[in-house]
Amino acid sequence: MFSLRNCFSVFIAALTTCAAVVNATPSSLGRPATPAEIKAWDIDVRPDFKGLPAGSGSVKLGQEVWEAKCESCHGVFGESNEVFTPIAGGTTKADMTSGRVSGMVLGAKNAAAQRTTLMKLSELSTLWDYINRAMPWNNPKTLTTEEVYAVTAYVLHLGDIVPADFVLSDKNIREVQKTLPNRNGKTRQHGLWNVGDKPDVQGDKCVANCVKATTIGSSLPDYARNAHGNLADQHRLIGAVRGLNTAGAVASNVTANTPKSTSSTPDPLKLAQQHACTACHGVANKLLGPSLTEIHKKYAGTVDVVSVLAAKIKAGGSGVWGAIPMPAQAHVPDADIQAIAAWLAAGKF
Amino acid sequence: MSDPMRIRAQLKDGGITEVRVLMAHVMETGQRKDSAGATVPAHHIQSISATHNGKAVLSAQFGPAVSQNPVMNFSFKGGAKGDKVTVSWTDNKGGKRTDEATIS
Repeated sequence: MFSLRNCFSVFIAALTTCAAVVNATPSSLGRPATPAEIKAWDIDVRPDFKGLPAGSGSVKLGQEVWEAKCESCHGVFGESNEVFTPIAGGTTKADMTSGRVSGMVLGAKNAAAQRTTLMKLSELSTLWDYINRAMPWNNPKTLTTEEVYAVTAYVLHLGDIVPADFVLSDKNIREVQKTLPNRNGKTRQHGLWNVGDKPDVQGDKCVANCVKATTIGSSLPDYARNAHGNLADQHRLIGAVRGLNTAGAVASNVTANTPKSTSSTPDPLKLAQQHACTACHGVANKLLGPSLTEIHKKYAGTVDVVSVLAAKIKAGGSGVWGAIPMPAQAHVPDADIQAIAAWLAAGKF
Repeated sequence: MSDPMRIRAQLKDGGITEVRVLMAHVMETGQRKDSAGATVPAHHIQSISATHNGKAVLSAQFGPAVSQNPVMNFSFKGGAKGDKVTVSWTDNKGGKRTDEATIS
């Protein structure tokens, strides 16, 4: 990770150069990242479990978190194929013994029609790290360490890898790794296009005379900064946005931008976030589903628009906006659906 | 002997018990052919029944059109926390499976 840290400093320096003084030398730009900044950024968990925070979480807690935050996309048993491919399924007790999922072996008699997450997973650290880093999709990095352990344990339980009363912790995670169904599934000696071929890249040649330090040789001139519109407006509204505000003056843009509040009525937006609507629907931008603004425009002239939208939210559907279906949202209370539908109809986001 | 079903029974607002069941079954339609060209014989669930405290709350007939490892949701009134919900299925080869869950 030491080399990544160096890269990070260079990255900060590069950002600042674009934003601030054009003719300065790189050595006068930026500052070294503080230990706290590096700690907040350095969250990766490696296959040898270096970087894994101490803690534990039970399958039982995992189920509660799952039903609150994960189920609407992944299904109650991780089986749903509506939004993402299934998480659990396709693994057997025999696979746990052999360490290779038999349904994934080339030409297998029981070849699986579709691969699930647990069929492919060879390192448990990947599952932990991914949940910690990227889930829930509409609000990543909001789960506590205990919740990440718990959800990981629950996913493993869905695949019958751990029992229902299991508590996963940094102490026993190595033991669980040794029972993963596809832990021996990784290969390196295979071709890129045809698995039977020899590897395209051997990776056995050491490169000499690598550049030790980066020198910034050019930067964007002032008149070209806004050539593609304001970059801050073009970034996704998910997470901390570090897009440069290229619309304003040069000097005021050194600090990171935060997305401007798009909500004048916070309550329905909060409801939409709480029920994970915003995982797939941005307010103004298209994510998996259409943006809320687009929906408002499309249904603006409809008779009895609130009940039409409420019915569509409750029943889900596909084909109106493209092939990706929206799952039924029957678990959301009717009052909340009505509030969200009325808010969509009013269009005051 | 097939894998156990996964059953989640929860008491919701208004005294309605919501039950979700994942059945592990190949659900062969009988119309598929294997790599040798021979027809794969049909093997699918034919009937499903669910009981709450011994009283039937659901019975259903499945056919070859239902997907592999089917998921079924249903709800009924009158359940209480701690009650048992039993779900059983029978397939066309005489295979049976019965599993039980506690309402939470």
